[in-house]
Amino acid sequence: MQTNPADAADGAIARPDMDPVTFEVLRNALINITEEMALTIRRAAYSTNIKTRADFSCAFFDNGLRCIAQSFAQPAHLVSMATIAPAAIREWGPDRMAPGDAFLVNDPHRGASHLNDITCISPVYLGSRRLGYLANMAHHVDVGGSSAASLGVNRELFQEGIIIPPTRVAVGGDIDRNVLGFLLENVRARRETNGDLRAQLSANFVGQRRIAELAGKYDPDTLEAFFDELIAYTERWTRRDIDRLPQGTWEAEAFRDDDGFSDDPVRLKARVSIGGGRIVVDVSGSSEQRASPINCTRAMASCCLAFVAKSLVSQEISLNSGFLSCIEVVGPDGLACTAVRPAAVVGGWEMGQKLTELILLALHPALPEVIPASGKALIVNLGFGGQDPKRGEFYCYMETVAGGGGGRPASDGAIAVQTNLHNTENAPIEEVEMNYPIRIARYELIPDSGGAGRFRGGLGVRRDFQFPDADCIFTILSDGRRFAPWGLAGGSEGRPARYVLDPDGECRDLPSKVTLTVPRGGVVSVQTPGGGGFGPAAERDREALARDLRNGYVSEAAATDFYGLDPAQARAIGAREG
Amino acid sequence: MDQPRHESRSAGFRIGVDIGGTFTDVVLLDEADGNVEVVKVPTVPSDPSEGFLHGLDVALSRFGVAPAAVGFLVHGTTVATNTIIQGQGARAGLITSAGFSDVLEIGYQTRPSLYELAYSKPTPLVPRHMTAGVPERIGPEGEVLVPLDEEATAAAARRLVAAGAEAIAIAFLHAYRDPTHERRAAEIVRQVAPGIDVVTSSGVCPEYREYPRTSTAVVNTVLVPRVAPYLARLETRLADLGLSAPLHLMTSSGGIMTSDTAKRLPVHLVESGPAAGVIGAAFVAEDFSDPDIGRRILALDIGGTTAKAALVQDGTPALAEEFEVGAAMVPHSTAARGQGYPVKLPVVSLVEIGAGGGSIAAIDPGGALAVGPQSAGAVPGPVCYGQGGNEPTITDANLVLGRLNPDFFLGGALKIQAEAAHAAIDERIARPLGLDAESAARMIIEIANAKMIAALQLISVRRGIDPREYTLVVSGGAGPVHAAAIARDMAIPAVLVPPTPGLNSALGLLAADIKHETVRSVFRPLAEIERGWLDGLLAELTQAGRGLLAAEHVSGSCMSVICEAEVCYRGQNYPLRIPVEPGHDGPAEIDAAFRAEHERAYGFGSATEDTALLNLRVTAVGRVDRPTLRKLAPRPAGERPEPASRRRVVFDTATDCPIYRRADLLAGDRIAGPAIIEQMDTTIVVPPKAEARVDAGGCLLIVLSDSAEGGRNHADQSR
Repeated sequence: MQTNPADAADGAIARPDMDPVTFEVLRNALINITEEMALTIRRAAYSTNIKTRADFSCAFFDNGLRCIAQSFAQPAHLVSMATIAPAAIREWGPDRMAPGDAFLVNDPHRGASHLNDITCISPVYLGSRRLGYLANMAHHVDVGGSSAASLGVNRELFQEGIIIPPTRVAVGGDIDRNVLGFLLENVRARRETNGDLRAQLSANFVGQRRIAELAGKYDPDTLEAFFDELIAYTERWTRRDIDRLPQGTWEAEAFRDDDGFSDDPVRLKARVSIGGGRIVVDVSGSSEQRASPINCTRAMASCCLAFVAKSLVSQEISLNSGFLSCIEVVGPDGLACTAVRPAAVVGGWEMGQKLTELILLALHPALPEVIPASGKALIVNLGFGGQDPKRGEFYCYMETVAGGGGGRPASDGAIAVQTNLHNTENAPIEEVEMNYPIRIARYELIPDSGGAGRFRGGLGVRRDFQFPDADCIFTILSDGRRFAPWGLAGGSEGRPARYVLDPDGECRDLPSKVTLTVPRGGVVSVQTPGGGGFGPAAERDREALARDLRNGYVSEAAATDFYGLDPAQARAIGAREG
Repeated sequence: MDQPRHESRSAGFRIGVDIGGTFTDVVLLDEADGNVEVVKVPTVPSDPSEGFLHGLDVALSRFGVAPAAVGFLVHGTTVATNTIIQGQGARAGLITSAGFSDVLEIGYQTRPSLYELAYSKPTPLVPRHMTAGVPERIGPEGEVLVPLDEEATAAAARRLVAAGAEAIAIAFLHAYRDPTHERRAAEIVRQVAPGIDVVTSSGVCPEYREYPRTSTAVVNTVLVPRVAPYLARLETRLADLGLSAPLHLMTSSGGIMTSDTAKRLPVHLVESGPAAGVIGAAFVAEDFSDPDIGRRILALDIGGTTAKAALVQDGTPALAEEFEVGAAMVPHSTAARGQGYPVKLPVVSLVEIGAGGGSIAAIDPGGALAVGPQSAGAVPGPVCYGQGGNEPTITDANLVLGRLNPDFFLGGALKIQAEAAHAAIDERIARPLGLDAESAARMIIEIANAKMIAALQLISVRRGIDPREYTLVVSGGAGPVHAAAIARDMAIPAVLVPPTPGLNSALGLLAADIKHETVRSVFRPLAEIERGWLDGLLAELTQAGRGLLAAEHVSGSCMSVICEAEVCYRGQNYPLRIPVEPGHDGPAEIDAAFRAEHERAYGFGSATEDTALLNLRVTAVGRVDRPTLRKLAPRPAGERPEPASRRRVVFDTATDCPIYRRADLLAGDRIAGPAIIEQMDTTIVVPPKAEARVDAGGCLLIVLSDSAEGGRNHADQSR
């Protein structure tokens, strides 16, 4: 939503109690500090997932453990970090911390999403006065567990990797080699993990310097007054925007295909209430948590709601506790979307992606001009590893693959993008092939994968992985083969996902949750869903359809079958481009 | 009077022509006496060369210069940028490795704006039906996995040409390691379609990562058929005029290249305009009488809708390695990629923010006072223009504070409605905040300044640069109004105001060197590299660079070569650039320098971890003599500058402030703040506790007496 400055005349607005200039200066300064931390991680990191795909986020918390500022972040880290960092700080005890200390934590059941996301927390001081805490969360390529990249079809958390409770990794600025050594001994990609952890520590080191400089310039009392005002200001603006949305309660349900052990679909229910300046989602009625990796934590479910809420209010609203206090996920613990210890959770991202689409779907009757059809609704977690014969060491690698965005009330769905919670970059083929014994055999759009509609769904992507030098342990931890992305307002479904072994030969369909050994020379083809269409296909603009045909987004057959184009006409448009 | 001057003006002129969106500026320099003349004519968007020739003609005839007397001609142009932004690029085809022809459609697969449900990617510059994959494959070591299918290549070329391709890009995987397949495919395309423009990715940007490399090649491809004829037309018409000096173009990295090179590689022109501005700032700083002033500068240009900040050290602007053309603004974080079309080539590193004279001030829905990024633009413009604007802008705030003169906008050309500006600020800002209009106006200015300070911090403090050791060089119409306050807040000791802050880009064209950058992929562990091999490669690249310069008639004594090694720990991706000085001690020295630099940049390093040399980067520079500007006459002893008038101006408090005319000032003049100095293209604000000093070269140095604490005081420094 764009803000019209003219709205400022609105009577409901209170003004900040702080001098506007100081307020603006500090607001920009804090965001810049978290951005600088982000840049530090990215440039100093070793693993492709962090350095290239930017799967990390940075934040600052005040002494009240309120999230004050976040870098341009992965939306899925938004609430996770605002939950796990305060939990870890409370558990360790702020009074037992000292300048130069740093802490690690990754236990999803303390308020995060999966073990791979390791959060690094450092207290910040000016002299002996504590100003707050810096935290950054980064997705590590491997944290041990049953299979490479810590992606596996397991029954409980203990099989998913090493669980780190709040643990001090640096004391007075020096790394504790016992802790680091213990950790590295439990992961597959030691060198990368070591480099990535140092990059995380480095980011906090940079951030600490900047926060202390700021406090030196503005004095800590002013800074603390600013934190109060920023939170109050953000909450005021968020509530005002929420008050302008339709008020009421709407509900919807949807399913994930299976849990990896049984074919029993996993139900998600969302009852969305907008009122009193808040958005609340009740997930009661969703399936109980399973002894499988499909579960997600309440922190993850809150990320889903935060994503939707942020998309419905002014873009300029900062991501801090003032915003987060206006949203809540309610419903009992122990559901597949509010899982508790010892549930396995590493596949819970797919739960999160579906829940996000479901909250949007529930709101479609309330906001028919805003809500899109379903996008790919997947992360498509792929993890692989094995012996690298050239380097003589074990390698470990992970990727996620883009897909189609859902068609929208006034535009086609985006082609080949990360959707909703997820915004990691693709790994360049040249970089992957240079660093790992992997060959990418194909990387292209899937024609006809976007659901037909007045506004077509975006196209999904096919990425084929080949292992020319040695066998590979390959894990797919995904979903979306059975329940396709839905269309809206009369639009058609997008093409569901396919995972195929040996696509140009035997062409064997794989389940969406599986670990297998791909023999040397073998190929796994990952084919992600297209987005659903929006509005009846018959109403699609004929010029747009001709463009789709020309560009091969839509085949002649689909133009005839779904869009009702005369076959001769379809052929003529196709032929024009030979 | 004209006749004798004409006689004396038959040799030794340099001309810079900068075509902007609204005006085409022509700067003419007489090398004999350093005199600079300036002509401003309207830009002709339908054919920029018309504005170019018109401006040139006016300049030559007005100042009585024979075309043959022009020995050096440099052009700064937005033609490349505008071609992309306006979607006017050529209809192009793209040939890739089979299975990878959707590289432009997929891009980085991310969204630059996370919470925008209606986000769409930019439309690819080559539509999908104009792409073709051909069987061929080279591996990461440069090994041929699948030989090039020449039949398929020819067939693809025929199909693309039949579909109307005016130019074809060829981008194969791992072509940065081995360009053989790309080169052979280009030959085949040329055979099939003689006369068509063919561009290879390895020929434009031989660096790894297929999407940015392909995108760079494609941007070049859609530009060639548009830019090359424009330059050829220009050259013909210049020759017709009798102007035989070779035409040079300003590149994105702040160097110049000949028009022959630019016709092949127009992608280098994309940031031509902004680069010229930074070079202009570097030049006036270098020309300043105290050499220490020009050594380290922060350049700030404040225009109508945005402000741009750049860093220059020892005359060399800081460069970025990659940017996106067509993106709304230059982002400062790599996380926001995906708004435009990536170009992986060196570019003057700028931070651009949405704050300029026309930026709108408003109370946001949370109750805070916000300035920009919304802008009133030229239409309707600020409230005080009286053209229908009703939202107060930075310009309105400056007017309310008396810092701008209502009777002297554009030298009096625009009639200003000061009362309307006052009323708008009072009603929309002051009353909701419970303030009076002047206090509100001051806050608007302070918040705008804070944004510009944040931009300057991104290019200085955030890169380990202490701004207290730098001089702020300011340009753009709104720049000198704000510069002193910005400098004071950042403890920058002095602000340098060029003679004509609005024409600095055109002047920059005359102060740039010829530059050629050559990159060679290495991708080997540093420990395995032998000194002799490295020296051989450096010698080869150096010789190649010098050869390019020689072909452009640069004499050997003007040539210099800069070598850099791009090094990282094995497994890292963003290498650090390590200078390789002549007479270096080989790979071991590069290795040690890298480890130290990594420790400095990131706070940790390793003595044992393997290091790798990714690329060698060699820049050959052909030094172009800097123009010598004509000196201002000194003020006769016993005289002092007199203010033209006085008016009420609000700083911390209201003052009865003297107003000077810039044209009245002479070398050595000193004007104590508070004071306002007015000239046609800008207004210079000299706040209290500051002094403006007029340099013989025409620049004005504002020395801030209270901001030098902890820094150095330029003015009193003896060398």
